[in-house]
Amino acid sequence: MAASEAAVRVHDVSRRFGHRWVVRNVSMEVFPGEAVLLVGGNGAGKTTLLRVLAGLLRANRGTVDHRGMVGMVAHHTMMYDALTARENLTFYTRLHGLPRDGRGDRLIERLGLAHAADQRIATFSRGMLQRLAIARSLLHDPDVLLFDEPLTGLDDAASRIVLDVIRELKARGAALLIATHQLVELVGETARVGYMVSGRLAALEPIGGRDAGGVVSRYKELVTDGR
Amino acid sequence: MAGNLLTATAAIARKDLKVEWRTKTAFMSSLVFAVLVLAVLYFARDKTSVGDFDIAPGALWVTFTFAGMLGLNRAFLLERENRALDGLRLTPVTPTALFLGKVIGNLIFLGVVELVSLPLFILFYDVPIWRQLPILLAVVALATVGYVAVGTLLSAMVVRTRFSEVMLPVLLLPFLVPPIVSAVQLTWRILALRPLSELTGWLSLLAAFDVIFFTLSLLLFEAILIE
Repeated sequence: MAASEAAVRVHDVSRRFGHRWVVRNVSMEVFPGEAVLLVGGNGAGKTTLLRVLAGLLRANRGTVDHRGMVGMVAHHTMMYDALTARENLTFYTRLHGLPRDGRGDRLIERLGLAHAADQRIATFSRGMLQRLAIARSLLHDPDVLLFDEPLTGLDDAASRIVLDVIRELKARGAALLIATHQLVELVGETARVGYMVSGRLAALEPIGGRDAGGVVSRYKELVTDGR
Repeated sequence: MAGNLLTATAAIARKDLKVEWRTKTAFMSSLVFAVLVLAVLYFARDKTSVGDFDIAPGALWVTFTFAGMLGLNRAFLLERENRALDGLRLTPVTPTALFLGKVIGNLIFLGVVELVSLPLFILFYDVPIWRQLPILLAVVALATVGYVAVGTLLSAMVVRTRFSEVMLPVLLLPFLVPPIVSAVQLTWRILALRPLSELTGWLSLLAAFDVIFFTLSLLLFEAILIE
């Protein structure tokens, strides 16, 4: 793919908290219709990198460019416990300046939450909140999706729904960057894997037929090489 | 552009009020506090040496100031829950719309607290208020606008700190000296049926505070939002 087609272009991005560099000199590109998996241990810098890409944190060095709109699913739902699922999505629909054409309701249904649309989300389970957060991130049909542990708290049925959504997003040309520890479910959906080691992108390479175990082995190799 | 600003501003204010209506957390705290302060100050004095006129203006503004603080604290704590502020920042909503939405929500909240507290004030303190009510309400409105503008800015500033509930009064109270002193002076003169010419100086100070601090708060809000 030509470099000019990249939906996300990250050039030499670094971010520190205090004196500690959490993300160091990361450069990468993600292309439309592609899902890139971001793997790494706790504290490797995956979440910080995603937050920098989303514009929630400023990079101390380097640049981030994306083509089109960005959606993000993070560890927190970014929604209000006292509102219902429908009210939360209606609120975000308004903030995005979108017409109230039932897109929120369609997403609620798509993610298997129609039965709970008018319940306050304070009563939701972790898995229901995660699905609603995914619905929120899709409201404005983003061109770039940043998913931080998208399958957390989901049972098998809910995971299947989310994996279907990921496939649909790729098919319509969205670029996805997915940080996860749940490799078994997600390895099959991705073309490339980025390995984060101590804030650095140690390697970004095609999945090359590796299964989840193969990805873990490769990660361990890179950790050992980095020492 | 202006349409989007209005839509987003209205959506944010409506959402804040809806959440408060559902939970009533800040409203009930503010109301209980208002009743307590008015009652304590009423019973704490020696009526033979401290007349109603001497204590009523101070009692009214101590009540409004501290009862309002509880609501201002809540305004951005709401956005901290589930990291909803990140969700807002992922939308195209401008800092101006967010600030205005929060200010309008806070103004309506504080307005309701003031309107509920005022009859209690009349009940406790034997002051001739009815004929003077329109001008008193105008002073209350004028003082509340400046108070809420600075309070909203500082509430956004302290929300990421660990002790935001403590930090807000510490930072806000010094800024409130000019408007609260003006409001107390005006209230005393209004209740004492002093001529309008005695009010103009304090009214000008109050209006100047509103214009300067509303503008400054609006301009500084974007810098506060950036992490």
